[in-house]
Amino acid sequence: MVTPYGIKIAVHLITTHFGNLVAKVCECLFSHGPLRLDQLVRYTELTKEQVKNSLLVLIQHNCVQAFVSGPQDDDDEAGKLRVRTQYLVLFDNILHRLRFPKFLDIVSRKFTNECVEILDGLLRDGRLTLKQMVDRASQGKEDAVAANVVRESLCKLLTARYVERCPAAEPVVSTVFKEETSTRKRGSKAAKIFEAPQTIEQRVLEAAVRGEAIRFSFTADMGRKADGEANSDDIQMTCIGENAAKEEEILWRANFEEFIRHLRHKVLIENVRTKHDDGTATVLSAILEATITKEKKVKMENSVPLSLDTIITEVMKTETGRTMTIDRIRASLDHDRLGCSQKMIIDDAYSIDLKKIIERARNEEVDSIVLKRYGTSAHRMFRLLSKDDNCFQDTDQIASKTLVDKKEVPKLLYKLWQDNYLHMEKVLVPGPKLSSNILMWKVNKALLWEHVLDEMYHAALNLSLRMAFEHEKDEEVLNVPKDKLQEPLLKRYKRLRNVWLLLGSSMMKLDDALMLFHDF
Amino acid sequence: MSMSQGKRKREELASEVSASLSNEERMVYNIIRSKEGMGIWQGNIKKECNIPESLLKKSIKSLLTKALIKEVVNIHNKSKKLLMAVDFQPSKEITGGEWYSEGKLDTQFIQALSEVCCKIITRQKVATRDGILDWVKTVGSQVFPGGVSQSQVEQILEVLVLENKVQQVKSTGFGDFASVPVGNVCYRLVKKDSRGAGGADALKDTAMTSIPCGVCPRINLCTPDGIISPVTCEYYQKWLDF
Repeated sequence: MVTPYGIKIAVHLITTHFGNLVAKVCECLFSHGPLRLDQLVRYTELTKEQVKNSLLVLIQHNCVQAFVSGPQDDDDEAGKLRVRTQYLVLFDNILHRLRFPKFLDIVSRKFTNECVEILDGLLRDGRLTLKQMVDRASQGKEDAVAANVVRESLCKLLTARYVERCPAAEPVVSTVFKEETSTRKRGSKAAKIFEAPQTIEQRVLEAAVRGEAIRFSFTADMGRKADGEANSDDIQMTCIGENAAKEEEILWRANFEEFIRHLRHKVLIENVRTKHDDGTATVLSAILEATITKEKKVKMENSVPLSLDTIITEVMKTETGRTMTIDRIRASLDHDRLGCSQKMIIDDAYSIDLKKIIERARNEEVDSIVLKRYGTSAHRMFRLLSKDDNCFQDTDQIASKTLVDKKEVPKLLYKLWQDNYLHMEKVLVPGPKLSSNILMWKVNKALLWEHVLDEMYHAALNLSLRMAFEHEKDEEVLNVPKDKLQEPLLKRYKRLRNVWLLLGSSMMKLDDALMLFHDF
Repeated sequence: MSMSQGKRKREELASEVSASLSNEERMVYNIIRSKEGMGIWQGNIKKECNIPESLLKKSIKSLLTKALIKEVVNIHNKSKKLLMAVDFQPSKEITGGEWYSEGKLDTQFIQALSEVCCKIITRQKVATRDGILDWVKTVGSQVFPGGVSQSQVEQILEVLVLENKVQQVKSTGFGDFASVPVGNVCYRLVKKDSRGAGGADALKDTAMTSIPCGVCPRINLCTPDGIISPVTCEYYQKWLDF
């Protein structure tokens, strides 16, 4: 679920990038959920043309996905024939717009400048065909860049999965949530296999995404190659011609999922490095690198199991891992570092608890907010309660365990509760004459993290608004050419530059925290 | 047998004392005595025995001069002093426990003991609760003339763990742990990270806390077009004052 300030920052981003009209359509989709074109026109009170163009912009930039809802049981004949194209806004993809510099940085570290330019084009324009990429590459150059050069760079990005084919334009998705009719098995086994139902967004994205083989394949027609019919030279020749034509039509876009996976791995490795040592970080890095293609989703709770031999081979492949002995690698995997259990050692299938590392990083972030905002005493109490988040503790217990003045404790707890950092429940205790209330406190991590994330979106929105304000305030300074700047404009220019640097770097850092709480 | 003898003795003593008192004094004394270590407030005695205010005050004064009762500070309300028979010690509920002296949390004592614990752990790299307690009892006996109990050291260590200054670990018997038998619980300083910050210091610079909104007590009242907004924010003004 997207939090209120999450929606605000997403709409703000769309407003600054594409203007008010597009933002209005986007906001409408956020507040009403998936809508048809006619509904959008009615709710936004814009003309059909304006809504249509706004949707086209949002689709071009991968911020909206269209889908056709499947026929429903209670439809009459006319209803079945009616087109049911609906538009779903993709919150994550809008927020990824904040991270484009990070995505470009990842590619620039691994690939050539040509690859960076291709990705830059895709991020700027949303979706591009090969021909458009070639045109872009040739712009401003005397000689046109050959299609082969661009194709080669694109292939490299495809192999690394940083670029993918655009998803299906309008997949058919059933929007009816089937109720389970079969009798449920009772007992713990039935409880264990319960999974949260898929959201409509998950269903649509799942239906739109192309099969693994075609998603990252450059060849236009996979089927023809596979069925082995194209044996004669003539057919092969025509195929090549057709394929070339088809290739030109394929739309490509940046694969945000892979970039987020890369950034998640980086955070995991750096956290392990800070908590333990370089050796442990090297081992985790090698494990994640070796299993990257086997990861089925970004938020993997545990790494894909590997045998000790494979891990050793992978570690020794890396530059920093070459110095490590088998004993050191084994020690890194140990219970008190990467947390591999005795069972994993016996089964020779080592799998790292990645969720735990992420949760630890989140806890640190929240801890530091509590410490800075509410002081050391409140921080101590908060840490006591977050140590075991399933357990309620009463006010007196908290006071005696944290050595905070008994009079201060209720005040601090109340403050934390009022700001949604603690969960409180009143318990009625019957006494001989009067019954009294005992206040019980605990930390509900799932709710707390959602609240902190919302505060982070709020903070990011504020940073962005302040940036715009500073820009507007000193616009006249920016209009003067740099070499003609004189006092007092020069002083203002220098200040503005510092302000921009500070706000910009803070935004990038805050965005890391946003990803930690939302995408990882 | 001995218990019933002791009880009888105490009863005899009480009857001896009560014989020397006036009727009102005896009534008040018995009420105070019946509350044992919990004590009772003057106002509540009045409710229970229904004696006129002046007579009650006189009786209490007389009992105090005869050293049969004493005044005790109540942690929950310092202005409401409690009365207690001299043969009882104030209970934990009234004093607040061993960390409280005269109804106040002894922060100086807590501070001093946690500093000592931290210093010992820093010096020894790894220390056990009993090791620290021994040091405090021998070398540090002058610093803590009132003495320190085992549970006090344990609680201080728990608080240091909560403050993320030290961590609780089990001895492996190797390296720094050589002096501690394998499997014993011991304490060491929280590992410092690459920036050189450790413990609570490590929390100083995170994404949220390095910007005004992360530590803002008024963030719930801040809206883009409200009275408090990022454009009018004073914290931002100070932060961006180059």
